Amino acid sequence: MTLTAATLKRTGAGKIRWRSVTGIWLRHWTALTRYWKVMITWILVEPAIMLLAIGFGIGKLVDDVDGGLSYAEFVTPGLIIGTAMFHALFETSWNAYHRIDNQIYETQLTTPSTIFEITIGDVSWAVTRSLFTTVSVALFAVALGWITEWTTIGILIPAILSGMVFGTMGFFFAATAPYTVFLSLVFTLVASPMFFFSGTFFPVSVLPDWVEPIAWAMPLTPVVHMARGFATNSLEITHLWSALYMIGLIAVFWPIAVWLMRRRLIK
Amino acid sequence: MNIPQDNVDPDRTMILVRELHKSFGDIHAVNGISFEVKRGETYGLLGPNGAGKTTTMRMLSALSPASSGHIEVGGIDVTEHGREVREILGVVTQHDGHDSGLTVLQNLTLHGYLEGLSKSQAKERAMEVLTFFGLEERASANVYELSGGMKRRLAISRALLTQPSVVVLDEPTTGLDPQSRNRVWEQLAVMKRAGVTVLMSTHYMEEAATLCDRLSIMDHGRILDEGAPDELVERHAGEEVAQVRTRSDAVLEQLRERLAGTPYRLNEVGALVTISSDNGHRPDISDIDGVRVTYRPGNLEDVFMVLTGRELRDE
Repeated sequence: MTLTAATLKRTGAGKIRWRSVTGIWLRHWTALTRYWKVMITWILVEPAIMLLAIGFGIGKLVDDVDGGLSYAEFVTPGLIIGTAMFHALFETSWNAYHRIDNQIYETQLTTPSTIFEITIGDVSWAVTRSLFTTVSVALFAVALGWITEWTTIGILIPAILSGMVFGTMGFFFAATAPYTVFLSLVFTLVASPMFFFSGTFFPVSVLPDWVEPIAWAMPLTPVVHMARGFATNSLEITHLWSALYMIGLIAVFWPIAVWLMRRRLIK
Repeated sequence: MNIPQDNVDPDRTMILVRELHKSFGDIHAVNGISFEVKRGETYGLLGPNGAGKTTTMRMLSALSPASSGHIEVGGIDVTEHGREVREILGVVTQHDGHDSGLTVLQNLTLHGYLEGLSKSQAKERAMEVLTFFGLEERASANVYELSGGMKRRLAISRALLTQPSVVVLDEPTTGLDPQSRNRVWEQLAVMKRAGVTVLMSTHYMEEAATLCDRLSIMDHGRILDEGAPDELVERHAGEEVAQVRTRSDAVLEQLRERLAGTPYRLNEVGALVTISSDNGHRPDISDIDGVRVTYRPGNLEDVFMVLTGRELRDE
């Protein structure tokens, strides 16, 4: 893929200036400390309400799933990682578009920072947001008794992978959106279908045979699968394949995201 | 303002632009321009919208790659070493580009941190530049609460955080009221006294005449002429221009006939006809019936009209 090599060379990937990366992360952290009272509703309150409604409400109607798990136990890891996806996608689509549109990236680029470094900073913040919501909602589920296995700590791995994959995907939209409303497609075409059909609320095996491979190809399915493996202490080799698939997606998506952002910002 | 200057070679060329080109598809935004700015000089790019000023400044700040040509800032090749150039350059972009998620002070300290200052240095410098620009009382305000003039001053103070020896300002006062504009001018003058080399673009003649040691008049991606403001006025408008105020078509017709084929140039705007030339003589028109001629010193506005014409420009 010559495009990749050329892109990385031009953006100076050979020598990453970490000051740029930590500076961007620090920017996001500073903004969060100003607006945490609002952000907490998205990080914890909203997913907690959803968890309660679905775990208690739908859980009442549904028999145990997948060999002895209560529905609440089944749905919890899916909902946690689904929320992590929304956070990461939103950060680098809507928020990044705002930064394009208001020339905030342009200002950042007048420092010695490069687009490559800025995207690393932004994606590392997407990962941070994923982790915040994952940890908060997981602790809430522990309190409810819907997470009982100590192996659940491993859920941080799919949370990080989600932050990276969806954080990178968000740039696809930010970098190509001609106007703000266009960004709704992130949710209507990408995030919402994935949220519902990636084994979050019901096992992928319930889907018609021909849909199943499509569901597995969607980037949310492997991370939900991993999260459930950790949360229910039922790890097997397929969880490793899921992790490798996500890493593969990062390797493909990242250069494309940097290339698109470069095309958008540097004319 | 305390701008450290190394004392080597006071006449050093701080900005060097040679045969610079930039095309977007078929459009030649910058079409082969060359100029130099010496240490401590304030140099202006003057031109209508779409002349290529912003594109030039973006290439110079390593924000946009040149199609061809050569640019050096402080002796560093911009194409080869964009990062290094951005380290020594203070840039005020056309749009303020403030981060609305942060306070005034946070905008500056984070920018300083990205520039490479330590957190405490960045904060210290931020307070210094805020004080210099009379914004210290707004340090904890949200940027969206600032007036246009304050936002512009904040953008300029941001560019000065690292005490750069070269500063590039893209239309520093566009959209400001006269008071704010004067304030920015005063502060640019202080920077100049401190020895900072400045490249600025503007479409305000008065601003260029007040601030610039030398300037280029640009249009359609080319430099039409270059020189000190007075030189340009003398060369193109003459020391003195004649003005005739008339609403009579007959008088206009006679004026046009009388001056056709002479070196005098007629510029008709509304009821005012401006007659300029570089030959140092007053035009022979006072005998035309109904004409009352007044004379005023030529200025950059006349030069600009002579060189770029009167057609309207889009962005």
